[in-house]
Amino acid sequence: MTYREKTTWLIVVSMAVAYTLYFGLIIGGHPAGREMFPMLWLFGGVAATQALVVIAGYAVLAMTTPKAERRRPDERDRAISRRGAAAAYYVLMAGTIATGVVMPFTDTGVTIANTALFAIVLAELVHATTMLVSYRRGWHG
Amino acid sequence: MARPPFTNDIRTLRFLAGEMTQGELGDRVGVTRQTIAAIEQGKYSPSLEVAFRIARCFDKPLETVFAWSDDGG
Repeated sequence: MTYREKTTWLIVVSMAVAYTLYFGLIIGGHPAGREMFPMLWLFGGVAATQALVVIAGYAVLAMTTPKAERRRPDERDRAISRRGAAAAYYVLMAGTIATGVVMPFTDTGVTIANTALFAIVLAELVHATTMLVSYRRGWHG
Repeated sequence: MARPPFTNDIRTLRFLAGEMTQGELGDRVGVTRQTIAAIEQGKYSPSLEVAFRIARCFDKPLETVFAWSDDGG
């Protein structure tokens, strides 16, 4: 597995765990689903923890991977990333439309913010997952 | 995923060039070892620039390194 695949796996796993917890708590009745400050605290805590895990993971991967394997992305890496971004674009557009649909039926901005956050997380997961599939199965851009 | 409609002889040419490694070829071309491996396995279609750089590394014309294959698509 290449260095870039490993870092992409790190992002996918950390994001999936962090936001499964976040949205799981909200679905379970946590006040972050209704009130602004609990939402900001929960989101801030989850996002900061995920960022720390990713930074630590990058450091571990950098130390355990030879420097020759960690060189800058080449044309294949960039093509695969573009493919992931193209797939994520449609998810983000659908999520943005869904957020617009939710707006008239909600009294607080918290639901709107959480819907938009869900769309962003889903789009980012699609981006990274498409990259992982492309690295494994090949890509003829 | 479907294979590209062309084949390549990079592995053979590396062998004939003093058993050049994928990493060495990648360094000379400006791509990673994994990208050379993906090209050899037909998992990635390189840009025209990289294809020419690979051919120049072996001092061969492009059509010696890459050949159109009617089987691939």
